Amino acid sequence: MTASLTISLKRVNKIYHEGEIIAGVVIVDTAADLRHEGLTLTMEGSVNLQISSKNAGIFDAFSNNIRPINLINTSIELAAAGKMPIGVTEIPFEMPLVGRQSSMSLGLLETYHGVFVNVMYTLKCSMKRSFLNKPLNASCQFFVQYKQQERPPSKPVRCEVSPATLRAGGGAGAARGTVPHFQLYAEIDSTVCALDRPITGKIRVDECSVAIKSIELQLVRVETCGSAEGYSKDATEVQNIQVCEGDVRRARPVPLHLVLPRLFTCPTTATPYFKIEFELNIAVIFEDDYLVTENFPILLLRSK
Amino acid sequence: MDLENNSEPTIESDATVNYSKIWSVKRTAILNKYTTGEKLTIISSYLPGGEKISSFSALLRQVSNLNEKVKHRLEQLDDFDESSVRKTMGLSQQEFVTKIHMLDDEIKKAWETEQRVKAFKIAIQCSKLLSDISVMQFYPSKFVLISDVLDNFGKLVYDRLKKKSFGDAAIELEDIDSGLVPESARETCQNWMFKMASIRELLPRLYMEMSLLKCYVFISKDEIKPAIARLITMIRGIGNPLVAIYIRVYLCKVASALYGKESECYFHDNLKEFLEEYQQIFQPAMAKKFGAQLLTADKYLSLYIPAIDWLLYGTLNTIPCKLTLLDELLQLCDKTENSELLLYCIVSGFDSPNIIKKSSAILDTIKKSAEHMVLLSPILSALGEHLCHADVYRQLSSEALSQTWWKIVSNMKSTANFLQVLEPWIQFACTQLSAQHINMLLRGTIRYMIKCGKPIDDYSSQIQLVVKRMLKSIPDVEELFLMDAFMPLVELVQTSNARTMMAKTVLLVFFERCNSVQIEDHIIIASLMRLCCILHEAINAVTVEDELKISSDLINKYIQTVSYQDDAREQLNFYVECRSAFIKLDSVLKTLVHAVHALANRARPSRSRWLSRACAAYSFVTVPSLQCALCRAQLYLLGAHAALLVACVGQAEANLKAFVSLIPDIPLYVQEDGQNKPTHVKVVGLLSNFLSTLLILPDNVDSSSKAYILSGFIKTMERIHWRKTDPLYYTLLLRTLDLLCNLTQEKYIYHIDGVISNDELYGSEEEFIDVLENYATNICQELLVVLKALGDAKETNKQYNLALELFWRIIKRGDLREGSMTSLAINLWVLSQKLQDSNNKFAKTLLSALERDTSEEGRLLFDKLNET
Repeated sequence: MTASLTISLKRVNKIYHEGEIIAGVVIVDTAADLRHEGLTLTMEGSVNLQISSKNAGIFDAFSNNIRPINLINTSIELAAAGKMPIGVTEIPFEMPLVGRQSSMSLGLLETYHGVFVNVMYTLKCSMKRSFLNKPLNASCQFFVQYKQQERPPSKPVRCEVSPATLRAGGGAGAARGTVPHFQLYAEIDSTVCALDRPITGKIRVDECSVAIKSIELQLVRVETCGSAEGYSKDATEVQNIQVCEGDVRRARPVPLHLVLPRLFTCPTTATPYFKIEFELNIAVIFEDDYLVTENFPILLLRSK
Repeated sequence: MDLENNSEPTIESDATVNYSKIWSVKRTAILNKYTTGEKLTIISSYLPGGEKISSFSALLRQVSNLNEKVKHRLEQLDDFDESSVRKTMGLSQQEFVTKIHMLDDEIKKAWETEQRVKAFKIAIQCSKLLSDISVMQFYPSKFVLISDVLDNFGKLVYDRLKKKSFGDAAIELEDIDSGLVPESARETCQNWMFKMASIRELLPRLYMEMSLLKCYVFISKDEIKPAIARLITMIRGIGNPLVAIYIRVYLCKVASALYGKESECYFHDNLKEFLEEYQQIFQPAMAKKFGAQLLTADKYLSLYIPAIDWLLYGTLNTIPCKLTLLDELLQLCDKTENSELLLYCIVSGFDSPNIIKKSSAILDTIKKSAEHMVLLSPILSALGEHLCHADVYRQLSSEALSQTWWKIVSNMKSTANFLQVLEPWIQFACTQLSAQHINMLLRGTIRYMIKCGKPIDDYSSQIQLVVKRMLKSIPDVEELFLMDAFMPLVELVQTSNARTMMAKTVLLVFFERCNSVQIEDHIIIASLMRLCCILHEAINAVTVEDELKISSDLINKYIQTVSYQDDAREQLNFYVECRSAFIKLDSVLKTLVHAVHALANRARPSRSRWLSRACAAYSFVTVPSLQCALCRAQLYLLGAHAALLVACVGQAEANLKAFVSLIPDIPLYVQEDGQNKPTHVKVVGLLSNFLSTLLILPDNVDSSSKAYILSGFIKTMERIHWRKTDPLYYTLLLRTLDLLCNLTQEKYIYHIDGVISNDELYGSEEEFIDVLENYATNICQELLVVLKALGDAKETNKQYNLALELFWRIIKRGDLREGSMTSLAINLWVLSQKLQDSNNKFAKTLLSALERDTSEEGRLLFDKLNET
């Protein structure tokens, strides 16, 4: 006697905005009549935080997990206890996507998969059955996005990099003390970026006494998790793409074009418990592996 | 893979330029040209023996220290994750190609088994191979192979998205409305794009985006063109010029497949980008690299040529005013260093009229840096080829051009290059310049060849090409021989083989081009004689039949065209000279004999008889040196005819006598076109001709026997051991019988003016008639023997025919008043009727002819025949 339970959402991309109604069907497929004690559908959303071992103090060494923060938790009954007929039964459902209304609530945050911070939303369906049988469960993730704001004015940023402007801690090469002569110019079209638009800009090598091996654009997330005991701040790489390979022609602007990956990015967020911020690094690697980087903090927005 | 390439959907707004077709031509050309014997390396995890799939998603790599991270990445730049990726080294070119095809199959297999991500990864790995320039001279071909793989991958993705969107409906790319694409297909497409955008390395990311370019249509059609524009600038990030230009080629190819005519602006944009990056090609680092691979500079530069050609090709189709572009580019060439590669591509890429307009400017540019140019000879020869297409007009600039060119070219170090360049330019000179100028160039060439100090024979084929080009292009081919430097150039080569080849080429082309029927100029005659002699000298015992035929055909043509007009003595001298010069060739001797007869005949009315005699003597002396008895016989007979025509009876008799003595030597078979051909048809014709000649030949009155030649002939016939049933034999007997009958007539049926034939000579003298009758009786008897032999051999058909033939001769020519004759005729008739087969047309015709006979004897015979 086999039976299966699946959830199918109406929207193919499973992306919803606050206030919308999540519609779909629960599909019960059974080879024989199925007696059950009730079918319920639960919508859950939570933030999971983790404190990196590096930053964790002695205080919380026993556990670097912080209790998840609940964002949404509603449940409806799809069917009362009874019997499912043989074959495929589709039970349609509709649930409004509304955050918890309380003073402590953060509202509905965007879905985000990070290293120390994760925001996840799931629909869970459970069919209770007589106590000899295990309950049947099914779950399905869906994604929450903010509604699109008006596009903010773009904030371009330019910078020139040369040995003179080089900040301390430029990497291993600096320690060797052989700084080649170079003059770079970089430009980001806007540090305020819409999530579904590529980040653009350009980079130009005006002068460089040694050959260039590679120029790369790195997207970094900075996750800060705070609690009463302290906080941890970690920068990790989201994506790294190469924009130049080999010794490029001097004085030629090379475009930067970075498509922001889905799920791994979200609007820049700051809450009392955690912060998610993003930065861009432009890294120039010379033939002798000497490395120069330039950092640009950026603000990600859900906008048109 | 070719087939699939061709079936790719193309949007053609202009049917005149089919880019995919042109690409496939270029594709094949590249594959044929850029090959290598070096060992190649392939890096992939999907080939047989390869291990686990390496983890490509570096997205979540957690390395907190940036430097460590970068180091780690850089290690990966040079090498893949070693646990899973295999480096296969030491592959031959063929093995490499097979491996690439295997990867292509692997993509298809993975795709069919729903492992789409795996297919994607293989495609990425393939495109990564293009960053490896370790065997540069193979790079263009490698690019072609891998671009095919990427095309196939792009097609797989596109087809699947199309199916997801519109099912199996045959919908063309241009008809897809992005708004109608269902959400799920759009989502899938977007996922592909995200996956592609997160490829870490630049080169594979660019290649993959290009291969997926047309899939943007499922998201929004408007995205494609900006994406192309973006890609064009993003390629700037590729530092290696060779890698960069070929990815531009691929972009243009993809764009042209999408937009056809509309895509031409992208060709232009890419070309402009390339020109900006032009100096990258000459970076010292690149020089070091190709130097390390033992590549010469010209080989290295030639790697770029197909790519630039392709960009320039598309650009030229879009530009409304090519001349302006040409001007711009030439100015650029003038300004930039190392402009030779660009210059070469310009010269070979533009159309002739524009290049011709700018030719002097181009030459000036070349002249400025001629010493450093490694592509000097290709540029000059390409320019020369263009100039060959110039309209025929003589103008000052042509001369100036040629002078400038000569200044450059005469300083060239490599003789092979010099000759390569000379070839088109000499054609240009031949079509545009005066004979003096051409002569000057030829003299210069000879000087150069002698000065270069290398064995000239090494270049004989190139010199031959130059000479051929001249002969073909000069308006008046005879003019060439009048230049004093032409023959020395032709005879520059020394080895006999090279000389023969050269002479053959010159003669072949000369006679092809020479449209005058006669050559009268003594210089040309002498030059051609010289060449013919070279041809003749080369003939020896081992020369093959075909060679002999070609040589003799050429010499024959020469003999036939040379004319001294009215100076017959000179002409005859010429023939005498030819005979001594070309004694090895039968067919030439034959031609000479014919030519001499023609000369004698032509001169006859106005000349004194010495010429005729001289000619007759010439032929009589020449004929014996021929190899083939049949030819000799023919020529003797011809000689006899000619002698009779000029009433030279003694000469005719001598010829005929020689002829008769030759008869036993005529072979049964002759070699013709490598086959043994029976001669009997020819012999029957020849001997019949001979017999008809005998009718007019006056008998030799000094000899003791009457009908001197004829008796000789009959004796010869008797001497030969004939097979009695041989049709040749009895046909000849019948013909001889005919002749005998005619000889007895009081007045012969034909004469030649001035020759007293036997009818007048003997006036039906009894002794003469008796001799003839005697012969006739013998022959009749012999024929009866033959009839019997035929009957014994059961050759009824032949017997039937022969019986009737003989019957006919008897009733027409025999004296039917004699009873023996009539009875013989009746017997023959009876024999024929006995043998008669279904086809008795012959007999009926004879009978009806006899019926019309009004003579008394004829009536009698007819009645008798009817009785039987």
